[in-house]
Amino acid sequence: MATKKYWKGLEELKNSPEFVKNANNEFAEQVSVEAFLGDNNLAVNTGTDRRDFLKFLGFSLVAASLAACETPVNTAIPYVVKPEEITPGVANWYASTYFDGRDYASILVKTREGRPIKISGNPISKVTNGATNARIQASVLSLYDSSRLQGPTINGKADTWSNVDKEIAQKLAAITNKAGSIRILSSTVISPSTKSVIADFTAKYPSTKHITYDAISYAGITNANAKVFGQAIIPSYKFENAQVIVSIGADFLVNWIENFSMPYAKNRKVSKDKKEMSKHYQFESNLSLSGANADERIPVKVSEHGKVAVNLYNEIARLAGIQSIPSTKLPCDAIIKKVASDLYNNKGKSLVVCGSNDTNLQLIIIEINTLLGSYGKTIDMETPNYLNQSNDKEFADLTSEMEAGKIDAIITYNTNPVYTAPGSLKFAEAYNKVPLRISFADRADETAALANYICPDHHYLESWNDFNPKKAHYSLSQPTIRPLFSAVDSGTRQAQETLLKWSGSSVAYYAYIQKIWADKVYPMQGKYMVFSEFWNNSLHDGAIEVGNGLEALPSNTKDKSQQPIVEIKEEKKLPEQINLKEIANKINSLNSSEIELALYEKVGMGNGIQANNPWLQELPDPISKITWDNYVTMSPVEMKQRGYKLMERQDREASVVSITVNGTSIELPVIPQPGQALGTIGIAVGYGREKAGKLSLQTGTIIGKNAFPFISMLDGTFNYSAFDVKIENTNKTTEIAGTQVHHTLMAREIVKETTLEKYLKDPKSGNKDEMLITHAGPKKAATIDLWDEHEKLGHKWGMTIDLNSCIGCGSCVIACGAENNVAVVGKDQVMKTREMQWIRIDRYYSSDMNKDIASEVGEGAIDMYLDMENPSTANPKVVFQPMMCQHCSHAPCETVCPVLATNHSSDGLNHMTYNRCVGTRYCANNCPYKVRRFNWFNYNENKDFTFNPSQDDLGRMVLNPDVVVRSRGVMEKCSMCVQRIQKGKLDAKTAERKLVDGDINTACAEACPANAILFGDVNDPSSEISLLRKREENERNYFILEELGVKPSVSYLTKVRNCDETIEEGKSNKKNSETIEA
Amino acid sequence: MNTRYNTPQIKPFAIIAFLLLSFLLNLSSVSAQDAEKLFKQNCAVCHSLGKNKITGPGLEGIAARAPSDDWLRKWIKNNKELIKSGDPYALKIFAESNGADMTVFTDLKDEEINSLIALIKNPPKEKVAVASAPEAGVAKEEQNGVNPLGILIGIISFLIIIIAVLRGVSHSLKNIQNEKEGLPNEEAIGVWGEIKLWMKDHKRTLAVIILFVTGGLLSSGWYALKEIGVYTGYQPTQPIAFSHKIHAGENAINCQYCHSGVEKSKIAGIPSVNICMNCHKGISKGPNTGTAEIAKIYEAAGWDPEKAEYNKPQKPIEWVKVHNLQDFVYFSHQQHVKVGKQECVTCHGDLKEMTTAKQVSPLTMVWCIECHRKTEVPGMKDNKYYESLHKKLAEKYKGQTITVDKMGGIECGKCHY
Repeated sequence: MATKKYWKGLEELKNSPEFVKNANNEFAEQVSVEAFLGDNNLAVNTGTDRRDFLKFLGFSLVAASLAACETPVNTAIPYVVKPEEITPGVANWYASTYFDGRDYASILVKTREGRPIKISGNPISKVTNGATNARIQASVLSLYDSSRLQGPTINGKADTWSNVDKEIAQKLAAITNKAGSIRILSSTVISPSTKSVIADFTAKYPSTKHITYDAISYAGITNANAKVFGQAIIPSYKFENAQVIVSIGADFLVNWIENFSMPYAKNRKVSKDKKEMSKHYQFESNLSLSGANADERIPVKVSEHGKVAVNLYNEIARLAGIQSIPSTKLPCDAIIKKVASDLYNNKGKSLVVCGSNDTNLQLIIIEINTLLGSYGKTIDMETPNYLNQSNDKEFADLTSEMEAGKIDAIITYNTNPVYTAPGSLKFAEAYNKVPLRISFADRADETAALANYICPDHHYLESWNDFNPKKAHYSLSQPTIRPLFSAVDSGTRQAQETLLKWSGSSVAYYAYIQKIWADKVYPMQGKYMVFSEFWNNSLHDGAIEVGNGLEALPSNTKDKSQQPIVEIKEEKKLPEQINLKEIANKINSLNSSEIELALYEKVGMGNGIQANNPWLQELPDPISKITWDNYVTMSPVEMKQRGYKLMERQDREASVVSITVNGTSIELPVIPQPGQALGTIGIAVGYGREKAGKLSLQTGTIIGKNAFPFISMLDGTFNYSAFDVKIENTNKTTEIAGTQVHHTLMAREIVKETTLEKYLKDPKSGNKDEMLITHAGPKKAATIDLWDEHEKLGHKWGMTIDLNSCIGCGSCVIACGAENNVAVVGKDQVMKTREMQWIRIDRYYSSDMNKDIASEVGEGAIDMYLDMENPSTANPKVVFQPMMCQHCSHAPCETVCPVLATNHSSDGLNHMTYNRCVGTRYCANNCPYKVRRFNWFNYNENKDFTFNPSQDDLGRMVLNPDVVVRSRGVMEKCSMCVQRIQKGKLDAKTAERKLVDGDINTACAEACPANAILFGDVNDPSSEISLLRKREENERNYFILEELGVKPSVSYLTKVRNCDETIEEGKSNKKNSETIEA
Repeated sequence: MNTRYNTPQIKPFAIIAFLLLSFLLNLSSVSAQDAEKLFKQNCAVCHSLGKNKITGPGLEGIAARAPSDDWLRKWIKNNKELIKSGDPYALKIFAESNGADMTVFTDLKDEEINSLIALIKNPPKEKVAVASAPEAGVAKEEQNGVNPLGILIGIISFLIIIIAVLRGVSHSLKNIQNEKEGLPNEEAIGVWGEIKLWMKDHKRTLAVIILFVTGGLLSSGWYALKEIGVYTGYQPTQPIAFSHKIHAGENAINCQYCHSGVEKSKIAGIPSVNICMNCHKGISKGPNTGTAEIAKIYEAAGWDPEKAEYNKPQKPIEWVKVHNLQDFVYFSHQQHVKVGKQECVTCHGDLKEMTTAKQVSPLTMVWCIECHRKTEVPGMKDNKYYESLHKKLAEKYKGQTITVDKMGGIECGKCHY
């Protein structure tokens, strides 16, 4: 039979070469829009005239109404087999643990329909007591990061686990056969099971060595302790027991060793019944969060930190009658003398800490604390802290070995040294010389991108793991979601399981942990008789404390924790080999230079591990209030001298300077930082991550610059400061996105403050009632009311914020955003003051100008107010004030809404109804607290905001299904977590019981590590908030702008500083307030 | 056919008509019907009437195998006692089922057991779905559905035609007369011309008419706009022809058995397939669709009815949501059903009479608020949570009923957040 041939066209018949070429392409080449339009006029003149516009308008109106007539089809897919514990619409909570090599917290994970959506602290834990920080709160979003790798890669190309396992096993075997060196490089590992896994791996490949390296290292402290006590440990610091706290450059509130904000804040609260509070001195160069909270802050140059410690030692030694060591004169010697006597008078109740990573300096600090009798009281050597085990020297040695080609394989786990290592080590070059480079990174980060194999690990919310953060304290983490990327032979895999596989074991890590716990942890406790009971309870609680001292950790902590604890006595003498004089001489020999650099960590970004997290990028830095950037902080005085832009009066433009240290240079904007020590600059690390993920693509730029290369090696430890710094003006400028551009209170009593001394004399000091003039003489503002009072029928929700406890850390901001689906708006919008965060923390500096001084100097009103806008440059006092919707009983926003979209509820809330709002923004204009936020764009769909998590298929999963995602053109604001209030009420109704105080808590109050925010029912006389307000009614309780008569539901407690008037430099805001009152 | 959109409500009528018909036909065998119901309620979870084994053996031919009907009676009533008594056949059966005993049914009356045995002996023949029945239903529907508006329009157009014809006739007659009288022909001015003339003469009346017409159009437009997005009567075709009537109505299964979230969650929940399988492991044939629809459950669950085990991949069912509340409304079933003690019927209509679920309430805010304005919360008086509030409200609204709105139930933020 003859076969007929049909041609597709003449081209095929002719079979021209072009046809042959195109025949293989199924689809024709895409024609660009320009080419398609052809006629240039068409492309250029695409403007729409009025008639067209009206046509479109008419068409779209008709189309929209027609479309609305058709029933939208929504489908619902129920489970095939519903897990017993899941009820759609009801949240499940799981206890777990966060540890990223830097921050540790025992946490509770809220899941909805199997998706984790919120993190909060686990109060059962004896280590963190329910405290978290902004980074931990935000970590739930990092789970849904679409930049994570979805499977293993070989040389950058996706491959299968079977191939990867086969190749790596072969290569590792080959290396072992020729006795080559294998190194595992990780950040601190506190998991007993992981250590055991590494030990198993080492048993299989005996030439393996595990090296611990942290980007932010505390090796100086471990080394010093090793020298003095023979134990290379970091002790537990007990800030809650310290009556006098002296910190030399340690920003201990969020960023030092662990999160000390909770124990610190505990001792900062004052009331009728607790008339004592700790006194906190801070010697530092950058204005840190701890410095901002200190009672006395003394700006000193970086090179002087050691000298301050030496002089402090001498002063205390003098008081104790001990021989002094060589010292140098310092400008702040008088204050040091006072500090020393304060410390010595509180022997056993004082604590001195230092942020330096210099072993010598830490030795002096140990000696000071020994003289002060801190050991056993405010420093607990019996409970070492295992969170930071970095061995800087080993890391430096490893780098040089790699450089020399002596290392055959390196496995990196939870560390990113190409990004974080000191520039002088040239880690990237050395790394590339290792033939076999394996990384467990969850993304192709700076280090992993250079690796041969990336074997992506699960996110912590997808993993099993165990932790031993402190001696005798254990915790577990459990998966709260099935791994997001779990394709067959691809997807992510728990790093421990991968290591076990390579060691020839196929046991699941879950079973492995149970075995380790059965062998090691279970025998240490005496509470449970059966292991399964012990395990189930530990898993349920998340964190446990076991009996003391029986731990024997496997593998590389041999030299650290296995040695018996030495008896620590107060009169302990120094071992002979430590020569304090020599150390002092060494410290004193450090010459100061013109400009000294102090690197620091930001509360939001930390060491940069979550740089791809837009929540954290948009979190305003507590001090500078700047988002989406790092920058150089400098004293305004020096900026003026150098001719940099001073960013005064709401100016957002900053000069860009080039900073050069040891041949490495970066260009960064420079911002004025009041309180920055003269001759110093500060730069935050954790920025400038080139390979953190999609965020830099979506925002169009790499966020900030990497300052990690500025770290240098000093006596075998990392030194987070530099003395040989060159600054050059590039004559370029850039705009900075700060959420607060007005830095002073302008003599208004928004934040009320007093000193402890005054407070003890008069509990109402600093909190004078606002008086209004009436025909019957002056009257308290609170007593005058234009409106009728609301009935007291049911609840009335209120909040009281203790300004004494608030440390300004920003945990509440992230927690609020996560709970309420607050949009991320990006740098451009922040610059237009369009940030969406419902809660902000206002930070105010004190000013050098007030009405008193003005009248003394004879300055006119205009000049005076202009001067008041400028914070004092040398050493301003700092106050933090959380500010959210005050839920006024007579809310000014409610009366101006033309469509009644915002109105009052019977339980005292100011409701905001998004679907009713038409976006006139009258309410925002009429709000005296400026807490209303307007959706200028549809952040959830607009393509200019692709970085918004809600625009990502994965990121969307973090949204709280109980809260509406707002659209363009509507106003929004703090709802006092109305969804939680409704849930708490409903739970009580369902159980047919009364609502109990504590049933409901807002996200911000829950997240506050300092317990500064108290939420409750003001109409319930027995609630904690009612009792507190009653107790503080004529003392510290006040309402902001009470004189307006808006009757807010949120009250504040006057800030009390433990300041001495003797040190006080005279000009402060307190004077201001008094003059106004008078 | 298989549209998900709003189709004219033919099907339910058809099915109801068909069911009515089959009910009448089966009126004579009421006891057999009862036996079937009894079987479904008590036995069908573990036994089929055919050969296939579910949890227990298939019952086909069991009466022939068993020693006697009396033995069967004893076994059904209390098999454990029978085994204990050492009955050899009972022991044998017990051993065959690997020592798994059957549930005891001591509550069953003897005549009920007898009817069950009769049923087992003569299992009902497969009912063939009568294909012609629905069509008959449609015809009926069309006959009944006489639109009054249509009649009106018909009458009006009929009148207009008559008027036009009469006018033509009168015009011709006039012309004939004029011709006769030698007068010139009258110009045909047409209807429109005449209307124009009339309008010139009656300007005021015209103005009033225009006013009324415009007003009417505007108001009807306004009400039409209000109907946008309101889908009362929405009854989409579902992937499985599940009948609420059979489950909730005939078999009287409690709503909460399947919609288990209703008292503990904001979502009542569509039952997961494993809940269907609780019963449908044993019931593989339905009265309407035979095995076809139930097979879809098996497919979803991965159940092999032949081997009576789950051995296939699961395929989740994609149901079409009937009640679609907007995202910006927070509605909680728990609040309404558990706390407010509202019946499902109040909002969802009588599903016991509905085959496919249908939206009977408009789900508009007006509808919500109207109910909140007139409903007194039944559970409130005894609920400790409301104790003090109720006392205060009773004082405030002396003698009035305390409706939901008086307790703050129509505040914006109670539903919108």
